[in-house]
Amino acid sequence: MSVFQLHVNGRMHTVNVDGNMPLLWVLRDVLGLNGTKFGCGVAQCGACTVHLNGKAVRSCVTDVGVAALAEITTIEGLSSDGSHPCQKAWVELGVPQCGFCQPGQIMSAAALLAHNPHPNDDQIDNAMRGNICRCGTYPRIREAIHKVSEGSTS
Amino acid sequence: MSTIFRVTRRKFLRDMGVGTGALVLGCSIGPEKLFAVDRDKLKNFLHYGASLQAFVAINPLNGHITIFAHRAEMGQGIKSSLAAVLADELEADWERVTVHQPDADAVTFGVPYPFPIPGGGPDVVKGEDAQFTDSSRSMAAYYMPMRLFGAGIRLVLLRAAAKKFGVTDLGELKAEQQKVWHKKNSVEYHHLLLEAAHEAKTPPTTDEVKAALKTPDQWRYIGKAMPFVDAQDMVTGKAVYGADVKVGHRGMLTAMVVRCPVANGALKSFDATDALAVPGVRFVEAVLPPNFLGGGVTGGVGANFVPHAGVAVIADNTWAAWQGRRKLKVEWDLSGAAANNSGYDSDAFRNELEDSTSRPGRPVRKKGDVDFSGLTPVEAGYYVPHLAQTPMEPPAAVAVYENDRWEIWSPTQGPELAQHYIGLAMLETNPVEWLVWGATEVKDGPGELNELRPFERENQRIFNKSMAAMLGIDQDALFKRRDELKARVRDKIKVHVTLLGGGFGRKSNPDYAMEAAFLARLHPGVPIRVQWTREDDIKFSFYNAVSRQYFKAGLDANGRPTSLLQRSAFSSFFATLFPPPNPLLPAAVNDIYAKARAAFHNGGEYLYGSAIELGQGLQDNPYAIDNMQIENSPTPNHIRCGWMRSVANIYHAFGLCSFADEMAVAAGRDSKDYLLDLIGKGRMFDEAYLNSQAVPAYDNNLFPVNRRMEPFEKKDREITPGYPPDTRRLRAVTERVAQESGWDQKKGTMPKGRGLGIAAHRSFLSYVALVFDVSLSEKNELTVNEVWAALDCGQVINPDRVKAQMEGGILYGMSLAMLGEITVKNGAVVQNNFDDYPVLRISQAPKKINIYYVAPSPEVVADYPGTPGEGVPPTGVGEPPTAAVAPALANAIVAAGGPRIREIPFRKKVVVLG
Repeated sequence: MSVFQLHVNGRMHTVNVDGNMPLLWVLRDVLGLNGTKFGCGVAQCGACTVHLNGKAVRSCVTDVGVAALAEITTIEGLSSDGSHPCQKAWVELGVPQCGFCQPGQIMSAAALLAHNPHPNDDQIDNAMRGNICRCGTYPRIREAIHKVSEGSTS
Repeated sequence: MSTIFRVTRRKFLRDMGVGTGALVLGCSIGPEKLFAVDRDKLKNFLHYGASLQAFVAINPLNGHITIFAHRAEMGQGIKSSLAAVLADELEADWERVTVHQPDADAVTFGVPYPFPIPGGGPDVVKGEDAQFTDSSRSMAAYYMPMRLFGAGIRLVLLRAAAKKFGVTDLGELKAEQQKVWHKKNSVEYHHLLLEAAHEAKTPPTTDEVKAALKTPDQWRYIGKAMPFVDAQDMVTGKAVYGADVKVGHRGMLTAMVVRCPVANGALKSFDATDALAVPGVRFVEAVLPPNFLGGGVTGGVGANFVPHAGVAVIADNTWAAWQGRRKLKVEWDLSGAAANNSGYDSDAFRNELEDSTSRPGRPVRKKGDVDFSGLTPVEAGYYVPHLAQTPMEPPAAVAVYENDRWEIWSPTQGPELAQHYIGLAMLETNPVEWLVWGATEVKDGPGELNELRPFERENQRIFNKSMAAMLGIDQDALFKRRDELKARVRDKIKVHVTLLGGGFGRKSNPDYAMEAAFLARLHPGVPIRVQWTREDDIKFSFYNAVSRQYFKAGLDANGRPTSLLQRSAFSSFFATLFPPPNPLLPAAVNDIYAKARAAFHNGGEYLYGSAIELGQGLQDNPYAIDNMQIENSPTPNHIRCGWMRSVANIYHAFGLCSFADEMAVAAGRDSKDYLLDLIGKGRMFDEAYLNSQAVPAYDNNLFPVNRRMEPFEKKDREITPGYPPDTRRLRAVTERVAQESGWDQKKGTMPKGRGLGIAAHRSFLSYVALVFDVSLSEKNELTVNEVWAALDCGQVINPDRVKAQMEGGILYGMSLAMLGEITVKNGAVVQNNFDDYPVLRISQAPKKINIYYVAPSPEVVADYPGTPGEGVPPTGVGEPPTAAVAPALANAIVAAGGPRIREIPFRKKVVVLG
């Protein structure tokens, strides 16, 4: 067991956990931040996507020790009230079905748009192909990203 | 204890400060009593008494309305859609409506049929299955009940208001957004509750409620853009799924289980030393009690949803449990019933299936006399492997055992089913005794509530008699025993339903929640969360059946088939639900299992399929061919099989719709023209038509084929509309999709390596036709460019969710067709995770999916006597698009110059880029 200082969604937390524990389980089981989902455990599905210094990473394979050095943002911290443009577009276009993968999808999309405010379909596919959705919301995810992109002034 | 999930309906009402007097619309009518097994009372209640109580509560303090969504929400939007239907008729203000997912409660929510409703309603869904969210039937079964509940409550409130305003003519009043208006005065619904309680003592009759239904021009929510209640929580991470349930705060422990890879295997021994050394690991213990008879010993590979034998590592957190599990050493006992499964090899089994379909099977439909002499033969076989559903949320459930009662939180498609089977496994040690649950009174005569067809009554009678004889009691005692058992189970087991992170049929099976219940019993008072990994999910699914379809057609001089032979081999999921004959069991036990299976939804006998599977695209072969012989080929089963989105339609449609195209190619005809020619001008497959072709037992997704009339107040009234297969509707969607895709215009103009494929299939009472536009590069790389889909699902209730289900169903079908394959070696599933069981990614999804809704034609509407002005009643959307995908895609690949693909996954024959 080791002590780590984690900077999550603008708040500092001190946790005492197994040094090999992936960030996902620290977020879920220790900090009680359940918005980040477990889908595969091997960085295949993207349900656990969070931001480390603004970059989308799979928290299921990110060591807590690595995360301790970074600014961590989870879906709970993307906005305080669901007002992030992606969250708004997701609701307006009725993207979610079961919704389980959507926190991860939104975190990936937000990271993409922060880096490339006007992605084309291929760039969207390339950035989002690590996020699986079994309900088949892909067409609406593309549409929502375009919608955010159109609303973007940068 | 969590405040969110501890809320039961009654506690909820109490917490709202709702006193009994004001509870008229909550539960003071006493649904438990009224829905008791006294069927005469029940019938009167349904006929006369607005059953208003179970689904709605109005808060007397602030007027907020809670609607209870009894069907499980797994992404199809049903929690929103059914509530909005009720809210519309109630004239509820959606801004003041909360939708609540209630617990498993077969008594309260068991709205049985027939339901005497305008234009009728389906009649076969038994009360106990009311919450079982499967077979795309939520809207079909509950659209009209929800409307009646809403309208009935509105009527009671109007009557209450009439007294308040001192008017006698309800026509002077208007209900609008939770207020009743009289001229310029109004009163809020929630200020009418005491008067309404009084009114409800003489509730309106069904006919009065019918007369109070809104007309379509008055609808606010039905058929309009309706709200999706969970969307905001989903995009902010607040939505609560199975793994997110927190019970007992820090006292909750997490379990991960090592399971025997072979069905029916038993635990021999385990060494927990290393696992227990992992920090945070608290306990290591067997999941099933020693000598538990429920699973392996009875020989059913998953019978009664008893989990595979396993050893649990229970720890403070998920990671510790997982680390401990990696260190655990377990030995399995594969003798006994497991010996039948430990040699299962899916490659070898494929040969068995081919062999089985090379010989005559059991005829399941016969039309004319098949004779190939003088005709040009076309012959083909198609293979579909086992498939796993892989919902994004791996199975997870929480259970607490306290004071000899279980409280369970689970994402589940079958809330009462979970309660039922977990209850049996916890409370009754002899699995044969579990069958008592299936004893059902059989009564003859018109108007009987749970009306069964004659042979079904006979099967039920045989089972009742044999079961009573086996227990050495008479039948009355048998029914009494059943009632006591049900009461005990419902008293001891409470199941809370969380959101489902996808279901697709996997979460119909409560094995994972049962694991939590077993483990919780070992630790009274301690909440135990069982968390499955993706590997667990892929290796311990209830798989879609492996199948082979064989076809032979004889084409006449015009290239049209006049004879068709079709053989379907598949491992029936009924062999999983009911243990097949097992030499290790006493003959009497094997016999009673066989009879129980036959009596349960006409489940057939081992080696053959159930009526449900035969009804999914086999016996309802839609083509107008003069001579047809359709057979079911005997197929054993060595692994747990279950339901996956579209179920038996997946393999039946793949075979049939591919073969239609193969015949077109052989005849040198255009695929679309040929398909329309095969369908012909179309007709209804009513019961008489099916009976005349040796189909006495067509299973129509558990809905009636024919409309049914019942004597009521000295005249016949329709109680069920009937949903016969109707190839006129299949033809209409086919024509529409061809038109929208520009099929005729594009003919002969497609560049090399590009082609269109078409397929049309009816399933779950709805009709879907698809056109796929694909490209195949010189390197054999497949790209799906665009998809057109035409759907006839009767009346559309929630257009945006219908569209979303179509998009999702098509992509789910693409995923299984191009990528899906579960293989088995030595009885154990080979695949592990999404790296070796790939599923569709965004980069593989077509850039454009076009969805078209086809309203049934006036001629069709005239034959489906629903409520005037409302068209054909609504039917399912979740599953219907999925089955038609594989054949449309395969046909398109041929049109693009590629190979004829006769097996899933297509990635074995063409390159599917990542």
